[in-house]
Amino acid sequence: MRTFLPMLASLASVSSAARFLLQIPITHVVNPSALSSTTHATLQSSGPPLDAYLTRSNTFNFNNVSAGSYLATVHCRDYAFEPLRIDVSIEEPVEGSGDKKEVIRAWQTFLGNEWDNKGESRGEGGNGLVIEARPVGQKQFYQERAGFSPLSFLKNPMILMAVFSGLLMFGMPKLMENMDPEMKAEMEEMQKNGVLGSGTTNTAQQIQNFDLASWMAGKTTDSGANSRGASPAPEKQASKKR
Amino acid sequence: MRLHAVLGLAACLAPVSAIFEDDAYHIDFHYALLGLPKHDTTFFQKPYGGSKASLLYSVSENQTIGAINPKDGALVWRQHPVLEPRGKGHLRAADEQDTVVSAVGNRVTAWSSSDGRLVWETIVDGAVVEDLEILEQEDGITKDEAKDAIVLVSGTSHGVKRLDGKTGRVKWTYEDTSSDTPFQVSTSPTTIYYISLHSSMIGAGSKLKVTSLSPITGKKLDQYTLSSDTEITSRDHIVFAGANTAAPILAWTDKTNKVLKVNIIGTKAVASFYTPGEDPIEKVVLHAPGHVNSQAHFLVEYQTPFGHSAEVYHVDLKKNTVSRAYTLPELQVRGTFATSTTDANVYFVRVTEDEVSVVSSASHGILGRWPTTRSPALAGGYPVHAVSEVVVKSGAATAARSAVLFSNGQWALIRNGEIAWTRPEFLSQVSSAVWAGLPEVEALAAELEVERHQNVVSAYIHRVKRHVQDLEHFPAWAQSLPQRLLGSVVGKPKQTTVDDIQQDTFGFHKLVIVATEKGRLAALDVGSRGKVLWNMHLTQFADTIFEYPTLKAHSGYVEVKDPSFDGSFFINSTTGGLASSVNLQMHGPLVAEGQKLVSFTLTNGVLTGSLENQPNIESVWTFEPPSGERIVGYASRPLKDPVASIGKVLGDRRVLYKYLNPNLVLVTAVSESTRTASVYLLDSASGQLLHATSHSDVDTSRPIPSTISENWFSYSLTIDSTASPESRGYQLIVSDLYESPLPDDRGPLGASSNSSTVKPSSAQGDAAKPYVLSQSYQIAAEISHMAVTQTRQGITSRELIITIPSTNSLVGIPRQVIDPRRPIGRDPTPNEQAEGLTRYTPLLPLDSKWHLTHKYEVLGIKDVITSESGIESTSLVFAYGHDIFGTRVAPSFAFDILGKGFNKIQMLLTVAALFVGVLFVAPLVRRKQINTLWTIP
Repeated sequence: MRTFLPMLASLASVSSAARFLLQIPITHVVNPSALSSTTHATLQSSGPPLDAYLTRSNTFNFNNVSAGSYLATVHCRDYAFEPLRIDVSIEEPVEGSGDKKEVIRAWQTFLGNEWDNKGESRGEGGNGLVIEARPVGQKQFYQERAGFSPLSFLKNPMILMAVFSGLLMFGMPKLMENMDPEMKAEMEEMQKNGVLGSGTTNTAQQIQNFDLASWMAGKTTDSGANSRGASPAPEKQASKKR
Repeated sequence: MRLHAVLGLAACLAPVSAIFEDDAYHIDFHYALLGLPKHDTTFFQKPYGGSKASLLYSVSENQTIGAINPKDGALVWRQHPVLEPRGKGHLRAADEQDTVVSAVGNRVTAWSSSDGRLVWETIVDGAVVEDLEILEQEDGITKDEAKDAIVLVSGTSHGVKRLDGKTGRVKWTYEDTSSDTPFQVSTSPTTIYYISLHSSMIGAGSKLKVTSLSPITGKKLDQYTLSSDTEITSRDHIVFAGANTAAPILAWTDKTNKVLKVNIIGTKAVASFYTPGEDPIEKVVLHAPGHVNSQAHFLVEYQTPFGHSAEVYHVDLKKNTVSRAYTLPELQVRGTFATSTTDANVYFVRVTEDEVSVVSSASHGILGRWPTTRSPALAGGYPVHAVSEVVVKSGAATAARSAVLFSNGQWALIRNGEIAWTRPEFLSQVSSAVWAGLPEVEALAAELEVERHQNVVSAYIHRVKRHVQDLEHFPAWAQSLPQRLLGSVVGKPKQTTVDDIQQDTFGFHKLVIVATEKGRLAALDVGSRGKVLWNMHLTQFADTIFEYPTLKAHSGYVEVKDPSFDGSFFINSTTGGLASSVNLQMHGPLVAEGQKLVSFTLTNGVLTGSLENQPNIESVWTFEPPSGERIVGYASRPLKDPVASIGKVLGDRRVLYKYLNPNLVLVTAVSESTRTASVYLLDSASGQLLHATSHSDVDTSRPIPSTISENWFSYSLTIDSTASPESRGYQLIVSDLYESPLPDDRGPLGASSNSSTVKPSSAQGDAAKPYVLSQSYQIAAEISHMAVTQTRQGITSRELIITIPSTNSLVGIPRQVIDPRRPIGRDPTPNEQAEGLTRYTPLLPLDSKWHLTHKYEVLGIKDVITSESGIESTSLVFAYGHDIFGTRVAPSFAFDILGKGFNKIQMLLTVAALFVGVLFVAPLVRRKQINTLWTIP
């Protein structure tokens, strides 16, 4: 291909004028008849790009295109279109016959990739070739404003945590009451051993009733005992548990 | 497949600050302009046969073809052919057709009347279209199919061509081999007349030569010359060469507008009439109906410096004579006339500053008269030209609408005396625009300036006095307070465009002063959707023909400069009046003792820095690119470019220090022969070259926009394809400047407590040059202009605003997306992720959410200016050129202002509900607490 392109450039001096048209097909993405009249297509190679307006028949007509390799782009306000690579060359259809004709080839192309990295073919032929320019999708300009809804409010992790802890606080005592006496006793035993719940409440108490002054003074007594004497909080906690 | 990957990537790129749907059309505004409409190419026309309503079509002075809805003045469609402005624009439409045919430059184009799509296009190579007509009838029979167009071309060879109405193919060509100047074509039901100016050998005058052609074959039927050489010395003396009237006429005047001569085309007789009145006549305009079936009556309008009058003439088709029918009396106000036809009847509409009246062409009785309501938009303007539509029922005009161009550049529609809409078409030629503060802000700034220059005591007294004076606004403020509070709570969120500028708490109301190429100056309020506050012409201050005025903003006034005169004059930015020289305090940049100001200019391809305010203009430094290169542009940091942080904090809490130099200038240069583009970063104080880089395979004929801000610059290139490069399309290059490549290192400046940018290299060696990091991206569209957002403190991240002419849009690219520190070929490390860096991809997809213009199509933008607003998060953006567009952007989201999504009622209800809840729960809790204390454990 690389050796082919300079050859194309040299051929460009030979008077040639290819003629082809890009057509927007009717797809579920876009009804081409509804496109705004500012939609236009360009063929870019070197210097000012060739420009074509959208016609009534949803096509872009390019006349007098000289030989070369072009990047074809459809510019539209509302829709994005896939870029195309269109090569115009002058070839002999039959080797050695001497009569030269314009040949137009079109492929999908990928911006940000090498130019020789072509995609699917989008057509090949002589003058008057119709090439499909496919829309990719509609352009979304606007951002959705996150409105307030009670559901989204409930989905908030903080609210979920509050609801969950509330359930535990109010639901657990009920659950305990409905339990069998044996199970209850077993549970109480476990709580005393600090397997379930009590361990965490103890640490919480420790943090709450932390005596900074005595700690600073280097006192190393059991903090639990220390706090028990200091405030009526443990009683309150215990009664709540019941 | 790959495309999906690209789209997916676009979706997960950095937070996007798109426009909210309810903000669109409220915070932004757009004037979709046509340009000043031309008289002979503006008309009402039904877009297709059988249509009930008609549209208003026009080709403007800047050759934009468009259709306007006469009901509300909204643009239905427009097309702006991009070509060099040569030749005149022509536009014609025929009855019962669904196309309008335009001729601009060398292109003859038929457009679909209702939506502006292309029907056919014909290019006349190497020639310019001089005139265009549509063949309404052929052999006296109206065709039902597409009507053919007749064009007159001039260039290497002159000639008349007939173009097929369906395809635009040339049916025949008549070549004019003489050296005459082609003037116009005119058609009658049976013949095509080609009118040219034949310059005689002796004398300066020229004769009118009329050639009649057969419409079917294009063969010459007859030719004759009218001896007009005593009167006509230039084309301006020909008043009219009749369009598709039943009897096409040719009319011309002598130099002093004393004699009017009329010839019915096709006959050799010339009728002479003396023009009325004693006052010298400045202008003679002929108004004739443009329809084949209408009566052969016409009106001649005479404009004097003091008023205007008119005479109505009738053409007798059988005798081929022209006679004066009646005279419309002279009025001592400026005004104009328009014609309107219904069936065969012809009506003339007289539009003056304060009245619209309708007369029939047959008699001088006034059929209808409407006094015109006053509008502030039209203050100080008088009608220049008009087109009209009249409804006449049983001998009285029941309705009349006229699209009138006023002398102040407003295009207005007057419907039965009411002004239905106005379009500020003069804004389509803006050459320069600057930001200016509001009157209140400027007044306060002036007061504070006074205080600053006084001693402490008198300044304090002044301040107390000022506050006491301010108290006079207090009662009004207190009165309006409840209303405002109520309004802000229950008011509809739509009411954001505050008409009263006094309530500008957020600083969104800033004035933009614009100057047009013709010397008109106007002020627009960007916060009130671009309302024109004042509009005036500079010729009232300077008697010159303006070429390209440029503006410079000072506090309270703007400085106007123009190539047509030396020096400059100052306009008060709040009133539009001439600023009195007494109040002018020249605020040059503050220069401390012992410092000097270096300014630089680009002259003859060399950038020269010289000392400001010095008697001898001696250059301090010069910069000339290497031989073969040509400077195409330069960009410098904005004068006010605050930077909040001197370093960039990395993910691991180390700091990369920014290279911050207020004197950075980015110079772009191209070399056509090697097809390279180079950029040079200069220090404008010392002229030192700080950085240089070069790109090969660049299309040097395309624009290279560039911008520089803070510690980064960017530019864009078009890849040239002639040498089969790796890729095609357009590139955007972004470069960051740091003091050192190492974090926590200030390079050579680290140790020194004092550094100089004037001698960066001799002070500490060459190392004082910045460390430059660059990345380039491929983008899908060509960029014609670049700008950077500005905020008050520079804390908000910046946005690069690029203008894309191919889709007529403005795109704001968030700065963090184009950070040159994006990791290449690997995924970002957790530290880099913490900085918000994503993996580098060669393609930068222009997310549609970045489009500042959303559904607006902003045509022909030449420049974009940005300004800070009153709050840090928001930057004001104003774009001008062909269209006018303004908006405000918040690149890091609006963090310091409540959005429309914030529901004040809901908040109040929540607070109330919580309060009620507390009232209920409090006794419960209290009882429980008491119970707890009294319970024995």
